[in-house]
Amino acid sequence: MLVPGLVFASRGMMEEIVRDQALRQVMNVAHLPGILSRSIGMPDIHWGYGFPIGGVAAMDPSEGVVSPGGVGYDINCGVRLLRSDLEAAALKPRLPELVAALHREVPSGVGSTGFVRLTAKEMDKALVEGSRWALSRGYATADDVAMTESGGKLSGADPDAVSETAKKRGLDQLGTLGAGNHFLEVDEVEEIFFPEAASAYGLFPGQAVFFLHSGSRGLGYQVCDDHLDAMGACMRRFGIRVPDRQLACAPIGSEEGKRYLSALSAAANYAFANRQLLAHQVREAVLRVLRIGPADAGIRLVYDVGHNNAKFENHEVDGRRREVLVHRKGATRAFPPGHPELPASCAGVGQPVFIPGDMGRGSYVLAGVPGAMRESFGSTCHGAGRRMSRTEAKRSLQGRSAFAEMERRGVLVACASRKTLAEEIPEAYKDVGSVVDVVDLAGIARKVARLRPMAVVKG
Amino acid sequence: MTRKSYRLLPHTADLLVLVRAPDFPSLCAASVEAVFSLLTDRGKVRRPIRRTLRPARGSPEDRLLSILRQALLLFSLDRFLVRNAGATMVAGAVEVEVRGEPMDPARHAIAREIKAVTAHGLAVGETAKGFTARFLLDV
Repeated sequence: MLVPGLVFASRGMMEEIVRDQALRQVMNVAHLPGILSRSIGMPDIHWGYGFPIGGVAAMDPSEGVVSPGGVGYDINCGVRLLRSDLEAAALKPRLPELVAALHREVPSGVGSTGFVRLTAKEMDKALVEGSRWALSRGYATADDVAMTESGGKLSGADPDAVSETAKKRGLDQLGTLGAGNHFLEVDEVEEIFFPEAASAYGLFPGQAVFFLHSGSRGLGYQVCDDHLDAMGACMRRFGIRVPDRQLACAPIGSEEGKRYLSALSAAANYAFANRQLLAHQVREAVLRVLRIGPADAGIRLVYDVGHNNAKFENHEVDGRRREVLVHRKGATRAFPPGHPELPASCAGVGQPVFIPGDMGRGSYVLAGVPGAMRESFGSTCHGAGRRMSRTEAKRSLQGRSAFAEMERRGVLVACASRKTLAEEIPEAYKDVGSVVDVVDLAGIARKVARLRPMAVVKG
Repeated sequence: MTRKSYRLLPHTADLLVLVRAPDFPSLCAASVEAVFSLLTDRGKVRRPIRRTLRPARGSPEDRLLSILRQALLLFSLDRFLVRNAGATMVAGAVEVEVRGEPMDPARHAIAREIKAVTAHGLAVGETAKGFTARFLLDV
C-alpha cells in the first residue's frame, strides 16, 4: 500500500464491512500509482469491482493514474431532487393516478426507449453539452442548468473518444430511467434538521418532492468496457501492476488516460442530459395529472449531483493547495459553504447532497461542510449501501409479495420487473439513518432533511 | 427444458456466477447460457437465428471475458436473446455458436438489467472433474 486506508463507519458497521471484502478493496486502491493521502471508504461501502462501492481516491495529475474501475460502469450515475409547492397531504388522494402516469410516461425497465430520437449529430451535441443540450431543445430551464453539478456540462468531452457501439447503445436511451436500483420517487419532507439550509434549498415540512436516480445508461457502460480493454495494453507498456484486473488504469497524461477522460466527460454529459429529460417528463406528468400550471406546482430543481465520476478539483494536500483527479465510485461530492463552484442560492449553506435510502425507510438531504475538504477530498456517502445479496433478499420475502410488503408500509409501487422489486426490498439495505449519522458525526456532511417515500417507480 | 450448469455465489450487490463444464469450449458455451438465464426464462426463447462469437486471443480468462462481453452485446445492441449455446474448436481457437431470437415483449420477460461482465475476480480453473469459471456481472 502506498497510502493508508480510511473508512468512515460506526463500530456496528465494521463487522459487515470486513466480512464483505470491501476493506480488501480499499487496500487494493491504495496500491494505485500516484494516489494521494489515503484510500477512502464511506459508511455505505460494500464489495464492488476494482474500487469498492463507496470508494474515494485522489490522484496526482502528473504521477497518478485514472482507472475506469474507480468510476464504475454507470458513469456519472447520480441523483436529482425536484422541490414543489405541493403539500404531500393534499397530493395523497391523487397519488395512484400520478404514479400510473409517471410509470407510463417516464420510460423505465430493460429495453425501454426515450421520447427523443437522436441523430448522430445530435448525439454528439448532447455528449459535449450535457444539460445545456437539453436547454437548447426546450427540455430544461436556465435554472435547471445552474442547479446541476458543474453546470450540467463537463469540459473536455470528445465524442470521437466514444465508440460507435457506445453511441448506438445510447441512441434511444436518453430520457430513460433504467432498472435495478434506479428509481423515481414521490417523497414527503418529513423532518428538517438544518432550517437555514432547508430554506435555501426551498424545502419545508410536509412538502411533496420528486427524487430521481439514474445515470448514463448503456452508453456509459460501453465507454467503461471499451476503455478497460485499451488500458490493459497501456499498463503493460508502463509496467503498472494492480491487484485486481478491474483496477486497470493508465497514467493520467498518457494517450489512453486522456482518451478515457474525454470519453468519461462525454458519458457524464449524457447522464446529465438523461436526468434532465427525466425531470422534464416528471414535470409534464405532474402538471397534466393535477391539471395545474407551472406557477402553481412550483417544481424547481434543488440540485443534481453525480456519485460515479473522476474529476479534476482543487484540494489541499500536505498543506499545499493543488489540482488532483478525484475518483468517486459510489460517493457524492460535498462542497462546503463558500466554494466557488456552488450556485449563489446555496453558497451560504453548502452544496446539496442527496442520499437515497431504500424504498421503505426514506432518504436524506445533506449539506456539504468544510470537514469533507479536509478529510475526504470533498466527498461523502451516496446511499444506504447494500447488506444482502440479491438471492438473500428474495429468499427473505419467504414467498410474500414485495408489492404487498411496500403497500403495508404505505408506499405505492409501480415496477416493470417483479424480480427487480424483490431484489430491492428495504431489508436488503443498511439503515440509511445510521449511514447518514456517521457522515454527520464525522463532519463530512451535515443533515438537512429526511424524506419519506410515498410512491416509487422502478424499472 | 434448459439444463442449469451454473450457480450464484454470495455477493452483496452484484451477481457472482460459478459455472462448471467438462472442457473449456463447453465452459464458454455454458457461461453464455448462464448470462442469458439470468436475463430471462430461456425456455421461452425460440431458436431460429444463429450467431457466432469469436473471442480475442489471450489467457483463458481473456477469452471467456471476450465471449461473454460479445454475448451481452447481442442483447444490449440488438435485443437478441440466446436459447442455447454450443462451442467448437476452429483452428485451435474456441468458437461459440448461439441460437435464439430477438426479444418479443409479449413472450419474454426480462428479469433484470445486466450492465456489464466485469473482470473483477474473473477466474477459469481446471479440476479433476473438468473446468470452472467464476465471473461477476454488474447489475
